[in-house]
Amino acid sequence: MTPSDDDTQRDARHWSRVQESGTLAGMRLMIWIRRHLGRWPFRLMLVPVILYYYAIRHIPRQASQDYLKRIWPLHAGRKPRCVHWLSLRHFLVFGGMLMDKIDAWSGRTLEARVDGADRARLDAAIRSGRGGLVLVSHVGNLEICSAMQERRDDFHVVQIMHTRNASKFNELLARSNLRRAPEIIEVSEITPATAMLLAERIQQGRFVMIAADRVPINDDGRTQTLDFLGAPADFPEGPFHLATLLRCPLYTVACLRDAEGYRVEFSDFDDTTHVKRVERDAWREQAMRRYVQWLTDQCQRQPLQWFNFFPFWGSSTTHTRDDG
Amino acid sequence: MTSELEQELKHLIIDTLELEDVTPEDIDPDEPLFVEGLGLDSIDALELGLALQKRYGIKLEADSDETRHHFRNLRTLAALVEERRTA
Repeated sequence: MTPSDDDTQRDARHWSRVQESGTLAGMRLMIWIRRHLGRWPFRLMLVPVILYYYAIRHIPRQASQDYLKRIWPLHAGRKPRCVHWLSLRHFLVFGGMLMDKIDAWSGRTLEARVDGADRARLDAAIRSGRGGLVLVSHVGNLEICSAMQERRDDFHVVQIMHTRNASKFNELLARSNLRRAPEIIEVSEITPATAMLLAERIQQGRFVMIAADRVPINDDGRTQTLDFLGAPADFPEGPFHLATLLRCPLYTVACLRDAEGYRVEFSDFDDTTHVKRVERDAWREQAMRRYVQWLTDQCQRQPLQWFNFFPFWGSSTTHTRDDG
Repeated sequence: MTSELEQELKHLIIDTLELEDVTPEDIDPDEPLFVEGLGLDSIDALELGLALQKRYGIKLEADSDETRHHFRNLRTLAALVEERRTA
């Protein structure tokens, strides 16, 4: 069966097919500049890169503007005055996050705070020794969260990443100065072998991070269409299936930047230890709704920190198998 | 002719996946477990993998073709357990 032109075009917009603009060589150059010339030359270089990217990349720009038009009324109580300016800021904030990400991977001292109630919850989660599945999103800076483990010998993170990006990151990690880099597991789909590996890690008291705001390459059509910022959007069921199979505590974590730097938000989400098989569908449905609510809250507070630059709404049934 | 291990695995499959309408006799050791045959899906495969890990301490390599081979039917599954069991 040959896909129609329409399908092919929409397919090209799926995030996994939108070619990563940062090649490994480019990232290495950036790391070199950061290391040898310092923060300011690095920041200066980033601005034209982002401007260029904003100017030529139609799909990410469109996706960003679409999102900002939806979130801004929730955040500011009014429509954005100039969506172009806002979207450009969105891109610049993304650039800043990339810079911090490179810092984190270069093993620089992190300025991520885990305060008050969040610290108490994180401590309790670690102390329980039961590990868990941590639902994350593309809000804020995930790398800071993972790199947090460098500071705590009792905190072990396993990060699930989709294949193409993961191999790039692994190469960067291999060259990084991190004393204790997080374990990264590449997946294009969750196989029984991966599930067993994750179960083993959780048994060892580790925390497995999985993003639930992006439909993976091989999703088997397992998505749920939920209302997100006023319109239906597809969310992957995979992380929630995994949650019921692993029968463990669930948490959410985000690392948002505010005026004082990064702040880690660590929350309890649920516990699937006693969710019976017959209750799974109902559990998944409400859990996915709660996750979307959590994501909405994060976006509402820090709208420029949801780093999704792929068309998110109205793209159902475009996710075809990608074996390439 | 089914071995003792195959019989045990039949019970494991039925119990793990709560297949209420299936008896051990219904599972033909040479019939495919997934899609056709018993009609299990990919989530069931994950669950079965976890059950094998828990009960027999089995580890699988990440290679999904190999996994597909092991999970083909009851006989291949029994061969896997025979070969890799640590518990």
